[in-house]
Amino acid sequence: MIQDEVESQLSAMFDGELPATECELLSRRIDRDENLRGRWSRYALIGAAMRSEPVATARSGFARRVSAALRGAEDSPRLKRGGKMLLSAALSATLVVAVAGLSISLLRDAAVDAGAGSLAQTRTGRGEAGAAVAVGGERDGAVPANAAAPGPSVAALRHGSNGEPVSYVTPVSMSKVNTALRTELADLIVAHSEYSTPLMRRNMLSALVSNEDGADNASPGASAGAPAKSPAGAFDASTAASSASR
Amino acid sequence: MSADASDLSLVRRVQRGERGAYDLLVLKYQHKVVKLVMRYLRNPADAEDVAQEAFVKAYRALPQFRGDSAFYTWLYRIAINTAKNALAARDRNPVSYELDLHNTDDSSDMVSRLKDPETPEGLALTEEIRDTVNHSIEELPEDLRTAIVLRELEGMSYEEIAASMDCPVGTVRSRIFRAREAIDRRLREVFDGGLGRTEELV
Repeated sequence: MIQDEVESQLSAMFDGELPATECELLSRRIDRDENLRGRWSRYALIGAAMRSEPVATARSGFARRVSAALRGAEDSPRLKRGGKMLLSAALSATLVVAVAGLSISLLRDAAVDAGAGSLAQTRTGRGEAGAAVAVGGERDGAVPANAAAPGPSVAALRHGSNGEPVSYVTPVSMSKVNTALRTELADLIVAHSEYSTPLMRRNMLSALVSNEDGADNASPGASAGAPAKSPAGAFDASTAASSASR
Repeated sequence: MSADASDLSLVRRVQRGERGAYDLLVLKYQHKVVKLVMRYLRNPADAEDVAQEAFVKAYRALPQFRGDSAFYTWLYRIAINTAKNALAARDRNPVSYELDLHNTDDSSDMVSRLKDPETPEGLALTEEIRDTVNHSIEELPEDLRTAIVLRELEGMSYEEIAASMDCPVGTVRSRIFRAREAIDRRLREVFDGGLGRTEELV
């Protein structure tokens, strides 16, 4: 009796005369009931035969195969989308790491340049870069100003006629330069945070902080080591520059 | 509700994400679409593959279907295009027949049979279905026959049939169901006892 009612509902649903709520329930039942699926298909065949429409009987399981193909078609773009997202995330992460690495490298170079450039400033008030004179130190003797000045990385001292340096050069604090660059780098990391994981950001910032520590330690070390190398108290600029560049 | 409206109801359900409703549309139109594609592809297996592809394409395009035309008209166009594309892709010529269609000695029925790329078994089954359905309808009681004819041939809704037959809508629903059951019973007898291919209709 119940089966008759279900089949009666099926007939009404086939004609689009079953209420939507009942359609939904019956659809679920049809999906797992081969008997109902067969009836539904034959109802279509009966109508087509009555209207003398051309029909051909599809092989067994045609609708199931279509359904399986649809599942495959739905899964495949999902996989593709997932793959694209992974690729995008990987590219983003690579980009962030590359930018950060480049920034750190630039930061180091800038720190070296700034450190070396600052050596050109003298305490006597004649410390403009243009006024700096390159020398090889007391051992090399005086050298004409512009001849041996390869660039701002070479600090210079002017020596007096008695061989004593006219002035002593000490590095000024690089904290301002470094702070600006560090801030920029930190901003960069934060700005790209949407492409990185919190762990990655932490690692990057840790690397930055440790690099800052290294830079901070390196600069005082270079300046602190200078007097030791020069018993006369003169700062050996070439040594400082080369040690900084290392 | 007409056949178009009932299809549209299924389409709307599919558009709301109910894929089972599309399964019902496939079950409903698989025989017609396979037959349609067979006009272009000789091999029934190829025709089924292309028909399957057409159904998949239609499903993907269904979100854009607005119901301006009947679902089957829309599906028909997709099936035709898919069949033509399949032919072009395989670099095959459409089915050509070297029959002398002007030879009046051949009956038109025979020519149409030879032109049909369906297998002899398939042709026999199709014919068997048609005969069985027609005979079954003739044997139906008058009220059942009228109800099913008004529904299937005239495309009338239950309400319209009820008005026409001067009976409640529930009675119309029952009559149509009983008519279908009677025809389907005969159909299954034929398949199970004769060709044994009832399962192929699913």
